[in-house]
Amino acid sequence: MIIFSKVNKWYGEYQALVDVNAEVKKGEVVVVCGPSGSGKSTLIRTVNRLEDIQGGQILYNGHDVYGVDSNLNTLRSRVGFVFQNFNLFPHMSVLDNITLAPTKLKGLNASYVKTKALELLDMVGMSHKANAYPNQLSGGQQQRVAIARALAMEPPAMLFDEPTSALDPEMVGEVLSVMKSLAKEGMTMMCVTHEMNFAREVADKVWFMDAGRILEVAEPETFFQNPTHPRAQSFISDIRA
Amino acid sequence: MLLNVIDILSQYWELFLIGQYPHGPLGGLVNTLILASLALIIAFPLSVLLAVARTSPYGIFRHPVTVWVYVMRGIPLIMIIFWTYFLVPSLIGRNISGFTTMLCTLVLYQSAYLCEIVRGGLQSLPAGQTEASRALGLGYFRTMVFILLPQALYNSIPSLISQFISIIKETSLGYIINAQEMTFAANQVNNQLLVKPFEVYFILAVTYYLLCFGLTQLAQWFERRIDTKRQGDALIAT
Amino acid sequence: MSQFTQGLEKVLQGDYLDIILRGIKMTLELAALSWLLAMVIALSLVVIRLTNHKVAVAAVAGYVSYHRNIPTLVQLMLWYFGISSLFPYELQMWLVDQNAEFIFAAIALGLCQAAYFSEDIRSGMRAISSGQTEAARALGFGYLRSMRYIILPQGIRNALPSLINHTILLFKNTSLAMAIGVVELTYATREVENYTFLTFQSYLVCTLVYLFFSLLLMFCGAIFAKKLNKVYAR
Repeated sequence: MIIFSKVNKWYGEYQALVDVNAEVKKGEVVVVCGPSGSGKSTLIRTVNRLEDIQGGQILYNGHDVYGVDSNLNTLRSRVGFVFQNFNLFPHMSVLDNITLAPTKLKGLNASYVKTKALELLDMVGMSHKANAYPNQLSGGQQQRVAIARALAMEPPAMLFDEPTSALDPEMVGEVLSVMKSLAKEGMTMMCVTHEMNFAREVADKVWFMDAGRILEVAEPETFFQNPTHPRAQSFISDIRA
Repeated sequence: MLLNVIDILSQYWELFLIGQYPHGPLGGLVNTLILASLALIIAFPLSVLLAVARTSPYGIFRHPVTVWVYVMRGIPLIMIIFWTYFLVPSLIGRNISGFTTMLCTLVLYQSAYLCEIVRGGLQSLPAGQTEASRALGLGYFRTMVFILLPQALYNSIPSLISQFISIIKETSLGYIINAQEMTFAANQVNNQLLVKPFEVYFILAVTYYLLCFGLTQLAQWFERRIDTKRQGDALIAT
Repeated sequence: MSQFTQGLEKVLQGDYLDIILRGIKMTLELAALSWLLAMVIALSLVVIRLTNHKVAVAAVAGYVSYHRNIPTLVQLMLWYFGISSLFPYELQMWLVDQNAEFIFAAIALGLCQAAYFSEDIRSGMRAISSGQTEAARALGFGYLRSMRYIILPQGIRNALPSLINHTILLFKNTSLAMAIGVVELTYATREVENYTFLTFQSYLVCTLVYLFFSLLLMFCGAIFAKKLNKVYAR
């Protein structure tokens, strides 16, 4: 579904991604973890070109993301992306946030889109707030709406960039449970997160990154019990402490 | 002195208010307001276009507008009035009235200042708004129209009102090219009376003051409303 | 084209150049004098307002409100035609001998701009945390000294961008003084145009001069702000 091959990225002199080779298979849930500044967020943002890469190739659902013939907006509309800071549009109601892209980009019938949006809101447990405005919602509620907004375009895969990092502790659970139910339905997911319990319960694979490289790819069981790379070992012992 | 002021007002209030109308051209306070409103109404849409161009990633749009804004901000309004007075007739091949000259001038001048206000509104929006919109697949233009401009324009309402106040004050320069407006009317009154200049200009100043002060209050009311709206929302959110 | 350059050469020669140069000198003198006046008054207004004395605060607010809500041109006229007429006859005559237009223009522009400057500095100072005053007072600085050494310098730094903008405005507003007969650059340009009928060329020269000084101010402001930010960041 998502294939990184020899991906390299620089910010000026600083190399943010170093020869990243990895694959997210269809239906797989991948959790990317690692210390801050390790390049996790940069990596996930290269998939829909919020960040550009300087070397290598990324294939998304069979399309070359950086290919000359790829239409950037079409590509992005097919990638579900959830931000750390939700980034809902504050001047639009919850419902309008969700229906915006399907109506404007797919040109779908408004009442059909609305029905679908309400279903999605129901799924994330937010249908009672359909007419509220983002600033009237708690962080957890906003993030659930943001997930519904991304799902409304029926993307083949969902990317989550630290979706719970900006939330108060008591709200983390509600967002994770939405993500879990998505995973159960077989959605392909790539998540950058510090929630190790989520990784343990839901992930098929854990990618451990440090200094712009993927140092270890393992199943969660193996990763948490017997990490092989020394950096991964110290990372695990740090979060246990 | 106060008696003099009342005297002048009771005798000349029509001239201050509407100029020589209906026996001559419309002028005075009413024309000042018409001139300022028309200038804002025409300059504002223009300035939105300029602001979009000024924040555009394409230099071909950005550079000319940037130069335009710097030039307009760098030369006095009077010089722009003289330029308009000189250039517009030679471009369209016939003379234009003082009122039209002033209107063209204010539109040109204010388009640059309003452009900077809208640009400020656009650039103060969090980068996440653009990112989220682009991540959904909305292109540059749609992101601008549906996501960025609605928010930026709403936030700049108070600045727009203060800019309207500036425009009202700037219309007084119409006097220099004999455009019919309030300052011109006051000078007519002064020329007729000759001996009471302080009273005449005092009336003129007070009138401008009341008008602009009222609008300032309106701007502050809007600002509070926008602020409380945000704060109220934030309270609900926590 | 050659006609255009010939005209330009004519405007930039002999008597005409002389008129323009004297205009530039007058514009710069007027700008400098009213700027100084404005800054002195503005600083006093800020300090008075900070006393938090009810009457003082109301008086300053009234001053600012008056000068910001009346067109600068009208303020010029009120001073030159209006207020001057209230002066005793001897003083009026004396002022006429002393180039009254220039004096009243400097007063009107300075008083008016002081309102803007004082608001700029005040909002710059509002951004300073109250801990700064407390720290200064705790060190033993009195009210005026903590103002002088701690609060005002920070406030002015915060206010710098809007101070620069309003300085440019003041510079441009000196052109309004032509309306009461001060022979500054705009007035001088009109004179040259009247003599030569070379409207385009004389306006062009004048515009470029204004642009040069405005851009110079913007440029200095940008450099200054960068420098201060560096110090601040450290």
